[in-house]
Amino acid sequence: MSRNGPLALAFHGLFVTFMLAPIVVVCLVAFTPEGFLSLPTNGFSLRWFRAIADYPEFVHAFWVSLGLGALSSLVAVLVAVPAALALTRYPVPGRGALQALFLSPLMIPHVVLGVAFLRFFTALGLGGTFLALLAAHIVVVFPFAFRLTLAAASGLDPALERAAISLGAGGFTLFRRVTLPLILPGVVSGWALAFIQSFDDLTMTVFLAAPGTETLPVRMFLYIQDNIDPLVTSVSACVIAITMVFLVVLDRLYGLDRVLAGKGSH
Amino acid sequence: MTTPSRSTTPLLELDRVAKAFGSHVAVEDFSLAVAPGEFISFLGPSGCGKTTTLQMIAGFLAPSRGTIRLEGRDLTQVHPSKRGLGIVFQSYALFPHMTAAENVAFGLEMQRVSRSERTERVRAALAMVGLAGYEDRHPRRMSGGQQQRVALARALVIRPSVLLLDEPLSNLDAKLREEMQIELRQIQRNLGTTTILVTHDQGEALSLSDRIVVMSKGRIEQIGTPQDTYERPASAFAAQFLGKTNDFSARIEGASPARIVAGGWSAPAPVGMRGPVTLSVRPERIGFSEEGLPGRVAARIFQGNHWLFQCETECGPAIVVRPNDGLPQPGEGEAVRLAWRPEDMSLRAGAAA
Repeated sequence: MSRNGPLALAFHGLFVTFMLAPIVVVCLVAFTPEGFLSLPTNGFSLRWFRAIADYPEFVHAFWVSLGLGALSSLVAVLVAVPAALALTRYPVPGRGALQALFLSPLMIPHVVLGVAFLRFFTALGLGGTFLALLAAHIVVVFPFAFRLTLAAASGLDPALERAAISLGAGGFTLFRRVTLPLILPGVVSGWALAFIQSFDDLTMTVFLAAPGTETLPVRMFLYIQDNIDPLVTSVSACVIAITMVFLVVLDRLYGLDRVLAGKGSH
Repeated sequence: MTTPSRSTTPLLELDRVAKAFGSHVAVEDFSLAVAPGEFISFLGPSGCGKTTTLQMIAGFLAPSRGTIRLEGRDLTQVHPSKRGLGIVFQSYALFPHMTAAENVAFGLEMQRVSRSERTERVRAALAMVGLAGYEDRHPRRMSGGQQQRVALARALVIRPSVLLLDEPLSNLDAKLREEMQIELRQIQRNLGTTTILVTHDQGEALSLSDRIVVMSKGRIEQIGTPQDTYERPASAFAAQFLGKTNDFSARIEGASPARIVAGGWSAPAPVGMRGPVTLSVRPERIGFSEEGLPGRVAARIFQGNHWLFQCETECGPAIVVRPNDGLPQPGEGEAVRLAWRPEDMSLRAGAAA
């Protein structure tokens, strides 16, 4: 700490303010008793939180987002773990090309992906279904799960697995007792990032969602096109609160620094 | 088939084993028979193929040619998890998510040893390496030496037919390394476990082994007891890698009787050699005397229990080691004469490099 000069401290302060101020403002506005977007000046009110209950679409959209995020990140992790292990363990021909392919969804703008998926799923007769959304989300979140799992797998000392093999462990036992526990921090962080990515996506999802499969960001986006009232801020405040709980749990289980840095457990 | 007596049958046999990676030959024509209970060291500089050979025995690499037999059974097709070998890795490779006891118990669990027997054997193994009471410690909370001991206990608790040690002491500091060498030797003697040690440290190989396999560039240079390999090195490489040695350019002169002549030093020559030869003598076998190879002391270094002299002679530079026995020693710049007994030197045809 003492190594930071006053300039550096000022910069850090500004930066943190810049990051946090909008979130703080949204949370404050959520408590306004007024019918329009304003900072609460004459008392706090929970009326906009109660108002969420009058719009079941928001609650439904929240569950769609949660389910979509959980499923797509789970599938992404289930595919990412064997892919990462194979790429780090074996001399796979075209390893570089494969890695680039796995990471390529990162490089395509989500608008483009949205249009492409819309055309594709409509042609298949799946337009607007949850299945189509899920498939699209798996593609988009996979690089996040893959990247962090790969980092954990390549940071794993091969001697550890060899030691386990020499002691008689083979096949699935080796994976369950040694490999997986050692890359778990990377896998969990990959899963968390994939989940956040799915939960957060608007640009692509807005092309694919139909009534009934709207995610929370899509629902909010559609809502503020027609209404300017503090309902979206109270919804946002709820999402922020849930995120905080999620992060605290993650921190308790694995340590947040480890999860966000995607390091192995050495 | 009758079972031959144990002492004459090799436990582990490598028969003309070779390994090539593409066009690079890592190990060539490696043949060795290891007797039960023997302690063998593979000694050589990095890249000499010693670790590759160890990995072929362990099963992590498949030999390109040749066979490896354990108790007469061909190992080549046996999966590494079924070979029943104990391995201690250079990085120790302890499972960081398990305690010391869980690490040691892992191999027994894989063998489906009952819980009660497991607990007892883990306790005994940790006690054997002097770590009683450390059962619930995680590796990251242990020192390098302690981790090393856990790794040794983990490899030995499964009662391996052969113990493979891959540079196990190279990450320890000098003092600890010496302690571990003595302890390793005692444990190995007590258990009688056949052991193969891979090392680049000649001191380690000399003090631990029954036999040393000196390797260079994928080939065996010499196999012999520590004393043999040190005192009668089979090649220039073996001589230089095992301890320090002096190479002098000498000549075989005259005929019947021919003599080896190195400056002012000479001795009867063995039959059949002629022309320029290289003469190798260990620094501790050279003495200062009234006559012999004339030289000058360029530097004199005090090293506690001995003196080290760097001398210049007409046959090349020489290192001389003399015990610090309280007798007067020549000073820097002084003219000296170097002499040694003919039985203390080895001869090779050709001039010194």
